[in-house]
Amino acid sequence: MAQAFATAALALIAAAAVVQIVFLIAGRPMDPASGWGLLAASVLLLAVTVSRSVIIGFPAVTNTYESLVFFSAAVCAMTFVVRLAARTQVMSFISLGLTVFALALLMISSSPLAPRDIQPPIPALQSIWLVLHVTVSFIGEAFFALGLVSAIIFLASRTTERREAADRIMYTSIAVGYPIFTVGALIFGSVWAEVAWGKWWSWDPKETWALVTWLVYTAYLHTRLIRRLHGRASAVLAIVGFAFTAFTFFGVNFLLSSLHGYG
Amino acid sequence: MLRKRQGAVYPLSVRALYRFLKSVRLAVVVILLLTGLSLLSTLVPQGREAAWYLQTYGPALGALILALDFDHYFSSVLFVAPAFILALNLGVCTVDRLARRLHAKAEKRFGPDLVHVALLVLIAGAVATGLGRQEKFFSLSEGEQLPVNSHYTIKLLSFEYQKYQNGMPKAWISTVEVRKDGILQAASVPIRVNHPLRLGGLSLYQASWDNRSTFLFRDQSGAQAVARVGDAFRDGDTLWYLTDTTGVGAGLAAVLQQYRGTKLVSERKLAVSESLGQYTLAGITPRMATVLQAVNDPGFVVVVVAVVLLAVGLALTFVQGRAARTGGGPPPSTR
Repeated sequence: MAQAFATAALALIAAAAVVQIVFLIAGRPMDPASGWGLLAASVLLLAVTVSRSVIIGFPAVTNTYESLVFFSAAVCAMTFVVRLAARTQVMSFISLGLTVFALALLMISSSPLAPRDIQPPIPALQSIWLVLHVTVSFIGEAFFALGLVSAIIFLASRTTERREAADRIMYTSIAVGYPIFTVGALIFGSVWAEVAWGKWWSWDPKETWALVTWLVYTAYLHTRLIRRLHGRASAVLAIVGFAFTAFTFFGVNFLLSSLHGYG
Repeated sequence: MLRKRQGAVYPLSVRALYRFLKSVRLAVVVILLLTGLSLLSTLVPQGREAAWYLQTYGPALGALILALDFDHYFSSVLFVAPAFILALNLGVCTVDRLARRLHAKAEKRFGPDLVHVALLVLIAGAVATGLGRQEKFFSLSEGEQLPVNSHYTIKLLSFEYQKYQNGMPKAWISTVEVRKDGILQAASVPIRVNHPLRLGGLSLYQASWDNRSTFLFRDQSGAQAVARVGDAFRDGDTLWYLTDTTGVGAGLAAVLQQYRGTKLVSERKLAVSESLGQYTLAGITPRMATVLQAVNDPGFVVVVVAVVLLAVGLALTFVQGRAARTGGGPPPSTR
């Protein structure tokens, strides 16, 4: 059942991407159907999480596959919301970018890199702090993904109006995602580590990369708010920030030895 | 030379130092330095023997890693010095921001101030933890008791190792009795992973378990020998290691690994009355022990306070920022 939900979500997201591309090429305003398709995909992906949770008797966010499914659901839901907030042409590009991003996450989840085996959680993972750590972190990272896409649109845009709109969305998404990521990744993660292993922080590679990601976004907000850094440099910093976010998730999982090997 | 600023008179050098320490440029440079070095440290395995670095990275690079203390980067000068400068920068910035708030000309957004204060408290807690944290692992079998500090004594009543149907560990539960200065505090308290027992400033964690079962072997002459998990015996050109016990039917069996030289050749289960070469397993006396971790962390309360302050500060920043954006205030980037 869970697999059928995931496949249906993948098809919906792919269809939403195609429809958005057609509308953009035709120069028509944002289509209404894609947003609802993405919302339906998000619901289906959450159904995947719920059905796996029922099987293992614990919230299913404890391995790479489950994390990718939740992350993709968060990106789809956020895309639906931002499409409602503004129906400008810039938003059409951003919506498409996020849709492709969600699609990429699901495709990685379908690859051998993310085994779909349903495994019950080992003792260390049986913690509400872990569940909060994973889910809140990915909600924050969904906002960072919005910042990434906006930064790319900013760099690719030629008109001042479009650039200003992309810049505003980039800043707002990172300003909103930053406290959520801080609470999810650093605070809830540290509390879980203390409760499970008696140490708030172990300088594990995953922890180090997450801290560095946080420092990069800290630098982004400070250079923006205090040094008045705008434009290209700010957009590049937002892209660098997301590169660190992505490596913290994928790079550390697949390339470095870490305590977080399970997800 | 003296300059006057906001009614006070400061030597120019002090003023310059103050401006340097509170500058965002300093923060960004130190963040970049810490970022680069920290990321590099994730590529170099930490805490190995010196010989390992020399062998793995070659004499030149290995010696450089050791000379720079990059084998334990997060306690080295390379990390501590920039982290100290960043903490100083954060402290000066926080004081400066609060001072400007008190002069009432700046807007009343205390969320970011609280976040900065929380980070300073967090650093203080981390220093207290780094300097004073103590941990000790100990193993207890059922019925054994141990003083965990000068006041508290615990006695293991039972240890349970639960497994899922596929054999994966589900839970390790140590049930203990707690006495303080000899007086019973709790007759039966479970300690599980993610559910530590807090005793004043001391925390007890379920860390691991230990198989202390004993195995009685008899050879063909009738001679008996007792072995434990971890023991090995030779049989011709192979070595058999006793690694664990496992359930077989209604009874128990020994789990043995067969080695030829350093190569693992096979693994087998040996039930009671079964033979392996010239030895027959005559009996197993099962005995499990729990491994608990006792942690005394003088920074614990400080870090908890910092985490709460940080969460409140971030929430306040979020709410006030949202109110400013929806209230038609100036764009945040121009503040």
